[in-house]
Amino acid sequence: MGDDDRLKALFAYDEPPQRDLVFSSAVMAEVMRRRFMADVAMLSGVSALGGAALWALWPLLQPAVVAISQGLAPLIVACGLATGAVVLLGGRQAPALLGLES
Amino acid sequence: MSPASLDEALVAAAQAGSADAYSRLVERHQQPVRAFLRRACGDWAEADDLAQQTFLTAWLRIGRLKAGASVRSWLCGIGYNKHLTAVRSGSRDRVREASYEAEREPPQGPDAADRMALEAAMAELPAEQRACVALCLAADFSHTEAAEALGLPLGTVKSHVMRGRARLLQALGGPDGR
Repeated sequence: MGDDDRLKALFAYDEPPQRDLVFSSAVMAEVMRRRFMADVAMLSGVSALGGAALWALWPLLQPAVVAISQGLAPLIVACGLATGAVVLLGGRQAPALLGLES
Repeated sequence: MSPASLDEALVAAAQAGSADAYSRLVERHQQPVRAFLRRACGDWAEADDLAQQTFLTAWLRIGRLKAGASVRSWLCGIGYNKHLTAVRSGSRDRVREASYEAEREPPQGPDAADRMALEAAMAELPAEQRACVALCLAADFSHTEAAEALGLPLGTVKSHVMRGRARLLQALGGPDGR
């Protein structure tokens, strides 16, 4: 055995296993945790910014919002009822809804 | 698909945000990175901590990795910088290290004496030389790859490997030790 082979054989004792699920899982768990924290921080920042902008602009927006909401009130109520119907009845089949099933 | 092209495909997917692809990169490269850090710092627990930090940093910087670059070299480079930072800042827990060394069982088996001699000789090498030896003699990196990973000139790497090899063989009672 040559000197380099001898060194390599001795170094091989330090080698971790080729597959180590414990290590890989620990790394990925930490990666996902940091990704989640970054997402939360980003969403918090955007929400705070949006809230602050809305607060600052509210005196300007309020008249427009009131005018629009009065005009759109019937449409909003209709959409709300339709959404409620879909949510409540969404899992049922059409024949059952029409009373055609025995 | 060759290992290099598989790496390239996984890197591209990870750069696009795929955690699954990055997980496969971790599985494929944890062994060489941890082995390198074990040899570079000598403390296996510390090495595994550094390897974990290495993969976390790599995830954040994966977008900077150029297409076709060696993932193994890139990861070892990040790990080496983490190791140097830990050594320079003195953040290594000396108490833990001492107790770890005290509790650690001495090597067993037919090469036990040689392995102890090798460990002791590695511990005496300067950090750069030790890293060059760990990459080129233990992990089959070319001198160019090691230079790229460690951010050292090619000539410096060659010189470190030659001197480190001579010192290790000397410690093992080999021909260079005469």
